[in-house]
Amino acid sequence: MNAKVISVHSSRGGTGKTIIATNLALLLAKKGINVALLDLDFRAPSLEMIFSEAIERPVKCWLNDFLNSQCEPEQLLIDVSEKYNLSGRLLIGLANPAIDAIRNIMEKSRSWEVTVVKKLFSLLSSLFTNMKIDCCIFDTSPGVQYSSINAIVSSDVSMIITTLDSLDLKGTENMLVDLFGALDKKPVILVNKFSPETRIKSNENNEKIIRRLEKTLKHQVIGLIPCYCDVLQTERTSLLAVEKPNHPFIKDLEKVSEALGYTLQK
Amino acid sequence: MSPKETASNLKMATLLARIIDELREANEKLELLVSSNHTLLDTQKELIRQTSAKKKPTQDLRLAPDVMTLLSLPMSLRKTVMVLYKLEKATAEDIAKETKRLRAVESSSANQLVRLGYLKKKREGRDVYFYIEPQLEAKE
Repeated sequence: MNAKVISVHSSRGGTGKTIIATNLALLLAKKGINVALLDLDFRAPSLEMIFSEAIERPVKCWLNDFLNSQCEPEQLLIDVSEKYNLSGRLLIGLANPAIDAIRNIMEKSRSWEVTVVKKLFSLLSSLFTNMKIDCCIFDTSPGVQYSSINAIVSSDVSMIITTLDSLDLKGTENMLVDLFGALDKKPVILVNKFSPETRIKSNENNEKIIRRLEKTLKHQVIGLIPCYCDVLQTERTSLLAVEKPNHPFIKDLEKVSEALGYTLQK
Repeated sequence: MSPKETASNLKMATLLARIIDELREANEKLELLVSSNHTLLDTQKELIRQTSAKKKPTQDLRLAPDVMTLLSLPMSLRKTVMVLYKLEKATAEDIAKETKRLRAVESSSANQLVRLGYLKKKREGRDVYFYIEPQLEAKE
């Protein structure tokens, strides 16, 4: 399986969605894959800050503007490949972090949300046919919100990020049944910030933990990323895949990308 | 009848007269309230009639097949809507190709969604196309 459209989602905030989405996109682009990364977290946009060094100001077209039919995909997408010396192309689409833009999104009607799903499908069509993109990653809002469900509906696979915290796990379990079950979508689960102490206490190896989780959640668990203290302490705007490509976190993400169907021999 | 009994009867009669007066007053107030409610209801009915005559899309806005609405639909109908998010317009056969279900199943689902007000359909030559109507409000 080669997932062309991946939405990165979670039941609650703080699981590491954005850092995983961003570094996965950079990692794939470094290996020669053409990637688009879109910020669908309209309530708390982050990509604009993360890629601030690579963006020309003022931003001509935000994802908000595109969804309001105020600009075309070519104006929306910013190519940051050269800045980070990537072999493949990395195009990013940014959500507007201005408070007016966030408020504007929150005031939108249900009929507007129907247009958004259709606009997302048309954007994907442009990305894959005209812009020769191989993979598109959506960074979404946590929980059940219009923007995240729109992303899930228009993606091939949803990667749910969870920690082993009981609140996170229960939220994920509920979402898998109520949301993904209802939409007939088969998500994959990625455990992040896994504490090795948990393993020592329960005397289980990673494989056993994965099997146990799969049994509970009834969906494929594609990885268990340990909690790296230095990653937690690093600025959230830092791009590990570029700055520290040999970091174990990035090595773990390489395995994740393989589980998603991307072979990275290039 | 003793003077004591006469005084008591008089007191009772005065009390009853007061009660009757108060009931009459309350009745008048109730009649006034009912009458103004009727007027209010008539005005509201007229307003609704005028609004729906002028702005037919109001009904469509309530039936926008957004993703939250999608979650409340039965799975069989949900799959059909999800294909129509992707395709601008589609025949039952086009939808069936995407969902891998029978054309007849898709035709039935799509027609049900039309009846429910979520989809529209139009005939082009021999083909019948189903589509999600762009909402007026969507172009704000």
